[in-house]
Amino acid sequence: MKPKSILMALAIVAGFAFAGCEKEIDPREPGMLVPKTVEQDPALSSISVNGTTLHAETFGNPDSAIIIVLHGGPGGDYRSLLKCRAFADNGYFVVFYDQRGSGLSKRHEKSIYSIQLMLDDLTAVIQHYQNSAGQKVFLLGHSWGAMLATAYINTYPTRVQGVILAEPGGFIWNDAKEYISRANNINLLSEETNDAIFFDQVFTGKESEHEIVDYKMQLMSAKENAKNNRIGNAGHYPFWRSGAIVAKALFEIADRDGFNWTTNLGSFTTKVLFTYSELNTAYGLQHARLVSAPYPNVQMEKIPGTGHEILFFGWDAFYPVALAYLNQLK
Amino acid sequence: MKNNSIIILLLLIFIVPKPGNAQTVNWTSFGNGLKHIINLNAGFDNSATIGIGYGQKLNTSFPLLLSVEYSAPAGKTIFDDFKTKLGGQAEVVKAGRFSATVKAYGIFRRNESDYVRLLNFGSEFSTVMGYYKSSWHAAGELGFDKAIITHVQHKDIMKESYPGIKDGWYMPTGGNFFYGIQTGKSFKNNDVYIRIGKTVAQDLKNKATIPLYFQLGVNGRF
Repeated sequence: MKPKSILMALAIVAGFAFAGCEKEIDPREPGMLVPKTVEQDPALSSISVNGTTLHAETFGNPDSAIIIVLHGGPGGDYRSLLKCRAFADNGYFVVFYDQRGSGLSKRHEKSIYSIQLMLDDLTAVIQHYQNSAGQKVFLLGHSWGAMLATAYINTYPTRVQGVILAEPGGFIWNDAKEYISRANNINLLSEETNDAIFFDQVFTGKESEHEIVDYKMQLMSAKENAKNNRIGNAGHYPFWRSGAIVAKALFEIADRDGFNWTTNLGSFTTKVLFTYSELNTAYGLQHARLVSAPYPNVQMEKIPGTGHEILFFGWDAFYPVALAYLNQLK
Repeated sequence: MKNNSIIILLLLIFIVPKPGNAQTVNWTSFGNGLKHIINLNAGFDNSATIGIGYGQKLNTSFPLLLSVEYSAPAGKTIFDDFKTKLGGQAEVVKAGRFSATVKAYGIFRRNESDYVRLLNFGSEFSTVMGYYKSSWHAAGELGFDKAIITHVQHKDIMKESYPGIKDGWYMPTGGNFFYGIQTGKSFKNNDVYIRIGKTVAQDLKNKATIPLYFQLGVNGRF
């Protein structure tokens, strides 16, 4: 076969391959691969605080004791935590917000992020909803959200009247890093790992191409919820959008600077509800004791029948424990 | 890969008498009368992979090889993920022991997870330059793998989470540069070679989750 003939045959095959294609979609176009944010869709519920716009919702009487729900990640969103609305039926004002750059909240460039900025956002959210100085504020954080709650208490120990923590990775970077390493459990020969990284050759994006990098981060999360995952999740859980840039920024900051959010926890003498899941084999009682140790007053609870996504898969067991704790402090 | 497939391919590597590589070619060891080359390889290329290839040297005034390659990543599900390449390579410069080869391939990739099925058409252009003797070679390589257009079909999990998500043909979707080194040993009508290098996204800043590639392969010519 002559080279010219082969090239012609290839051209014909390529022509047929693309002839039936409908109009191509630009992956950078908002709303195609990931939902629009509050900046792109004004119909979404939002608040403007601390120089950003956050996707936020509230439930319950605004004058009741406030529960601020802090989602995981960094870069996750509060959709899987919406069962916490139930606290509103028991006399609490429940506030959900997607953290800066996460979920449906406004995106920002990577360079603006810092831990202090995330704490300032939380302060601004509290101030936005707190009607009086006497209105109690409780934090309820899951995973990274529980780490953020602890960083807040370590910095401002008098600003909240109680906290519920659900499997924080660690309050010292080394503890968190070791947990993340155990949880990820990368096996290069597994289907799940290769599903999670194979598409790196298909989708690439600049940091400014948020839709693409957020979408890639979302696809990568399939691994953590796949069958027999290490963190014990029963399957996939609801989400809106992964915030790839905020996640990358905060991980880079942690890796570069480290952190220790335990230095002032001794001054927070209020009882803390610390929960961990039965099925997360990367966590367990030993890690829960290690992480919770700097708090002087801890109520430790193992939540049965769930993995890391305690507030979604383990809600029925978690809720009565959490409600009883809050009612003691209300 | 696919546990059973790994066993079968490993058996092929050791049983087939003259395995060969359609991609990594030492032109100086391509003896007279030999037109075909077969390759088996294993390594890491955006996932742990095993691959196979076939090439045919054409009767042209300069060395030209057309080839087809197939590789698949590790995992339990067979044929849900793979990469195929169809194209050719030609030796464009030869000065004593130094040689430069250019390669051009069309690529078709498939990737399926719990969230999505991707079908991608792409291209790869690269050059390999180095020192070649009939018994061994050492060279550097530089190339660009462009994911030109990708058909995206989302699974129910994604559609339930975001009903507005769009299936269809997406363009452009990405591209990665790769650069590295390779060396090989040739004996009789066979070669054993190793390639190792790095990848970086087309913006020259961002990187893949594991921005490395590695390949160990064997060629047979007949």
